Amino acid sequence: MSSSFLFRSAVLRRPLVGSFRATVQARQATSSSYPYIPGGPILKGTVNEPTTFPPPSKTHGSHHWAFERLLSATLVPLTAAAFVTTGSQYPVFDGILGVSLIVHSHIGFDNILIDYIHPRKFSVLGPTLKWGLRALTAGALVGVYQFNTNDVGLTELISGVWHA
Amino acid sequence: MSLARSSLALNNVRTSAVRSLATSAARRQAVAQERQPIQKEFKIYRWNPDEPAKKPTLQSYTVDLNACGPMVLDALIKIKNEVDPTLTFRRSCREGICGSCAMNIDGQNTLACLCRIDRNAGKDTKIYPLPHMYIVKDLVPDLTLFYKQYKSIEPFLKNHKLPEKGEYLQSPEDRRKLDGMYECILCACCSTSCPSYWWNQDEYLGPATLMQAYRWMADSRDTYGRERKEKLQNDLSLYRCHTIFNCARTCPKGLNPAAAIAKIKLELASE
Repeated sequence: MSSSFLFRSAVLRRPLVGSFRATVQARQATSSSYPYIPGGPILKGTVNEPTTFPPPSKTHGSHHWAFERLLSATLVPLTAAAFVTTGSQYPVFDGILGVSLIVHSHIGFDNILIDYIHPRKFSVLGPTLKWGLRALTAGALVGVYQFNTNDVGLTELISGVWHA
Repeated sequence: MSLARSSLALNNVRTSAVRSLATSAARRQAVAQERQPIQKEFKIYRWNPDEPAKKPTLQSYTVDLNACGPMVLDALIKIKNEVDPTLTFRRSCREGICGSCAMNIDGQNTLACLCRIDRNAGKDTKIYPLPHMYIVKDLVPDLTLFYKQYKSIEPFLKNHKLPEKGEYLQSPEDRRKLDGMYECILCACCSTSCPSYWWNQDEYLGPATLMQAYRWMADSRDTYGRERKEKLQNDLSLYRCHTIFNCARTCPKGLNPAAAIAKIKLELASE
């Protein structure tokens, strides 16, 4: 009688014990005991869960990409036109070329930072460099404005250096 | 050769004097058939998780290419069978359809079963696991994250309404749009050859997963294209692709994941 009782209790208990063990194992497999490191050996969630996506944002996605490509494409005729005109004749045009070049480089440098020094991996260096780049770009834009209003402008500077 | 052999048989029957001449001819033939062994050195990446403190090393094995099949996988199996049973690698179909034996052979990610052994015995062949992956043992990389990413794009047909009768139908033209994408065997050669995937593989999906994402966007029977595209609208999942084209160069099935990624970008931009 005692053996049948034991057997029954074991049968009753088995799924419970099993599920408890499963949760313990699942918890060990997730990041509770080890912290999640981006790109590290510890995964987010269990092995059977899909990876997650950041919240969708067209500003960071397709619009950013399309703007980047359009800017690169417009730089070609802008640069070609700069050979024909002179900066002092068309200061606005010269300013557009300067600003486009700076924005183009900003996007390029920003891509380098996202690739190699993303804030999710470098909590201090990442944001520092991101804002450092923004400060540099802002400074360069102020420089372009000053150079075009008070001096000869980008196109004439380059032609002057070229013929010097 | 068969001609010589038949004349040899004829000689044997005729006279013993001719027979002695015939046997010497046969012996000469046997010598000519014997091939010189080509001793080829294979240097294989070894790392044992049971000794985690020991650094990974390249271990040398020499294989006679004339006693071995033509592919690198044949050499690996020969080494495992005859020289060192502790050598660990994944393999299954040995004909390039399962994608298990993806590894880095002489600096190129490829399937060992589709990669011919370089017959030049003067040069060794170096075999590494897929680059920039966590290693389980020797040539076995941990592909858990790769599969988790594949799962995240929901690689199955999703349609808002049931077909009117039977199954979802597709025109031959629409079916043709999937050619060059459905053949992917998920060997991870392309993703692990991509520098962007090396640096940001926790967020960037990589060429293999992105091509499969596009495979379901391009399917005329799938109506969840907008939802699928919206997921990729961020700076990391898709736009870490900088058109390096390592994926298209390395694909052992000759597919072009870079083209699929370019089409996703175009569709997202023209949405």
